Amino acid sequence: MNEFLRLDTLIHLALWLAIALIAMLIPLLPLYRPDDAWPQPEWFLALTFAWLLRRPAHLPYAAIGLVFLIQDLFLMRPPGLWAMLVMIGAEFLRRRQSMVREMNTLMEWGLVTGVLVAIWLANRLALVIVMTPRPPLDLSLVQLVGTVLTYPVVVVFVQSVLRIRKPATGELDELGRKL
Amino acid sequence: MPSDRQNDTDFVRPVRRLLIGVLALVFFAIFVVWRIDSPRVERFRSAVVDAVVPNMDWAMAPVTRVARMIEDFRSYARIYEQNQELRRELQQMRAWREAALQLEQRNAQLLDMAQVRLDPQLTHVTGVVMADAGSPFRQSVLINVGARDGIVDGWAVMDGLGLAGRIAGVGQRSSRVILLSDSNSRVPVIVQPSGQRALVSGDNSAFPLLDFVEAPGELRPGDRIVSASDGGVFPPGLLVGEMMQDADGRLRVRLAADYGRLDFLRVLRSRPAEVIAETGELLRPVSDSGVPLDPRTGLPYGQLEPEVSETVTDTVAPVPALPVPGAPDE
Repeated sequence: MNEFLRLDTLIHLALWLAIALIAMLIPLLPLYRPDDAWPQPEWFLALTFAWLLRRPAHLPYAAIGLVFLIQDLFLMRPPGLWAMLVMIGAEFLRRRQSMVREMNTLMEWGLVTGVLVAIWLANRLALVIVMTPRPPLDLSLVQLVGTVLTYPVVVVFVQSVLRIRKPATGELDELGRKL
Repeated sequence: MPSDRQNDTDFVRPVRRLLIGVLALVFFAIFVVWRIDSPRVERFRSAVVDAVVPNMDWAMAPVTRVARMIEDFRSYARIYEQNQELRRELQQMRAWREAALQLEQRNAQLLDMAQVRLDPQLTHVTGVVMADAGSPFRQSVLINVGARDGIVDGWAVMDGLGLAGRIAGVGQRSSRVILLSDSNSRVPVIVQPSGQRALVSGDNSAFPLLDFVEAPGELRPGDRIVSASDGGVFPPGLLVGEMMQDADGRLRVRLAADYGRLDFLRVLRSRPAEVIAETGELLRPVSDSGVPLDPRTGLPYGQLEPEVSETVTDTVAPVPALPVPGAPDE
């Protein structure tokens, strides 16, 4: 518990929440409507996964779930479904964090791609099962591919701008414990 | 609580798993409730949006302003071309203006002759666009008028020129407008010169499809498309746009409403048109027992004199084709 309440963790969580707010506001702003443009990739989802695989302690599962639930509400998605799938995907990745630590970026990319495809499929399947109108298949596939392709870019952003890296071997936190 | 450390205490893990499971179940329950009782959850969603978005003006206004300024500044670069283009267009417009004036006069004359009374109930409320849909698959905007201003679900929304969409979701201070290009939007229309009925169905592109046309051969690109009152969704006769054909040969609609700059939208207050539910009674009186009556005699059919039609033709006075001045009056 006190681990979570450390200042460093809280600052990073606040930073992530601010980015979440921006990610939600940008599409809401009445700037221009990309009519024929391809759907934009879900870069915020990619950023969340990249962040999670580097410092899972920053992003508690409840925060991830709630943020995506709020985004569901605002971005006119079926509420709850996408939030649940993202949270489960995030937990799957969190469980494998010690494994990912030893992987290179290419393999990590593969793993994340797997998770993204899996939650996309589950989302699609759930919408088919309950017979809700779905976004057009081609456009939503384009979006998925876009999200997968932005992942490396997001990783570079997270590592170099936000300075969130995988813990090096033997790195200690402020309390002197092994990361 | 979340932790990436290996030295977790033993009891933390199962408890965490349980909590995650519970939260996932809650989310799933929200989804299921949304599926079962969609209107209620959508109302909740619009209440949340209603509470938050109008308060986000401080965030929205400066960014929007700066973006618009940049856009305007870019247009300075092409100012010479634009000037030339405008001159040329102005020349064309003068010709059109002349034509329009003549037509307007003629129209006024015809309306006067026919004693047409335009629908007095078609008044409007104007709102300002606050936010976009935010999703690539949803073409909708939020406007700042809502139930407070008497907005009702389903009313038609226009920008200055043409039909823009319709109200779908009303909050207290805001309401959502589904644009014609949204993939859920279907609007009955009439294609003007040929008078064919069709359906404008959005497909997420700038130019929605024109579906269910009976005889596509009779249509020409450039035909005017106006709304039809089929199904009681829209007031009839609102300009929607003009027809075009895309590269695949499919019929599409170039919308008259300018989706590039949706600033002000007017919501038309429409009353549902009166519906004629029964077939015969409107034209033919019926007795208390339900037997149709002859309107001329007030008697049930069957007691009709057979020679009525002949007497009618006999009594019609012959009308002279042209009155001759100075001719003796009969």
